Amino acid sequence: MKPVITFALMTLRNLLRRRTIWGISIVILLALFAIGQIPGYGVSNEGRFILDFGLFGLEIGALLLAIGLASNIYPRDREKRTVMPIIAVPLSRGQYLMGRFIGAAIIEAAAMITGCIGLMVILLTNGHSIPADMLPATGLLLIEGWFLLAVVFFFSFWTSPPLNAPLTVLLFIVSQLSVSGFIKLFPQAPDLMRTLRLVLPHMDVFHIKDPIAHGMDIPDLYFLLATLYGLAYTAFMLSMALAVFRNRDLK
Amino acid sequence: MRLTAAVLITSVLLSITCKADYDIEEVTPSGHIGTDSHDEHEECEVCDDAEHHDHEHEADSAATVLLHEESDEHDALEMAGSDRHVHDAGERNHGTGWFFNQPWAATFIWGKMVRDIVILLVLSAAVLFMSGHRRKRH
Repeated sequence: MKPVITFALMTLRNLLRRRTIWGISIVILLALFAIGQIPGYGVSNEGRFILDFGLFGLEIGALLLAIGLASNIYPRDREKRTVMPIIAVPLSRGQYLMGRFIGAAIIEAAAMITGCIGLMVILLTNGHSIPADMLPATGLLLIEGWFLLAVVFFFSFWTSPPLNAPLTVLLFIVSQLSVSGFIKLFPQAPDLMRTLRLVLPHMDVFHIKDPIAHGMDIPDLYFLLATLYGLAYTAFMLSMALAVFRNRDLK
Repeated sequence: MRLTAAVLITSVLLSITCKADYDIEEVTPSGHIGTDSHDEHEECEVCDDAEHHDHEHEADSAATVLLHEESDEHDALEMAGSDRHVHDAGERNHGTGWFFNQPWAATFIWGKMVRDIVILLVLSAAVLFMSGHRRKRH
């Protein structure tokens, strides 16, 4: 485990040196600031809109961060040929993947927590209260972000770099659809579309901004279930990524 | 090629064993959304006779507000939405099915989530084992 942690910290330092990450983080904070500046026009529940749009902004930020963090890691390592000496002696391919994933996941977590604090500040400065479930809601969005990170790693091993981001965004979009909504995209082959959709995750598991914006309580058990569901799907995607990576010829 | 086949087989297994009955819209029990006493709302929107309904229409509220603004006899409470649109305790409003069909409220799918978690973890372990075993053989 120690080599993985050391490699994760190395990945963390490498990623922090990239301008892309800072750019995406600044865009997220600017978007949250802009949401806070939308005039209320006297609507009594303005806080709901700020919260709803803010959490949606954090979700899109998690997607952008996942793509920005992970899509170039393996292609760059392969291009610079740094991956070969790394996995030749000190690390196995599994440890390489876990180190890279944990490093990127730590940055994603830091960015989401910063975004959540920013949203709290915006709510307070606009005279609204902060819902009790705000942090757990951000936590679920972070789990979704980690899942997307695993998806990006999977695609970076499986496809060419230019296809990585479009495929991840496509998966993100179709995972938001219900089965019936997905079948409507191509109604000529309902069975095929149904099978395709049922393989994909249910992203709505991570979305609790509606009840939070309406002041409804979420059972603690649900947070636990949704967290475990997201982590299990992340583990599955990472195992698939590792299976593809183990099959790769790096010469 | 073998890997692609393995991915496809895993995906099919996942769809059959893990997700076949997961769509909330399809598995919602009839009692989950609650008695929708305003199912007739869509019909009454096209009906011209407002006297037969026990609540005022949204469209009429603008005209009502104008009337009330001209008269000092009415206070603001008479125009409050709760006065026009009263539900019994525990009864859910019409058109909110989508809201209560979200996973956090649809407790009937939580068991399926647990099942999915277990199957996903088992599949992860199987994929890891198979890919590692195959690599050792090479």
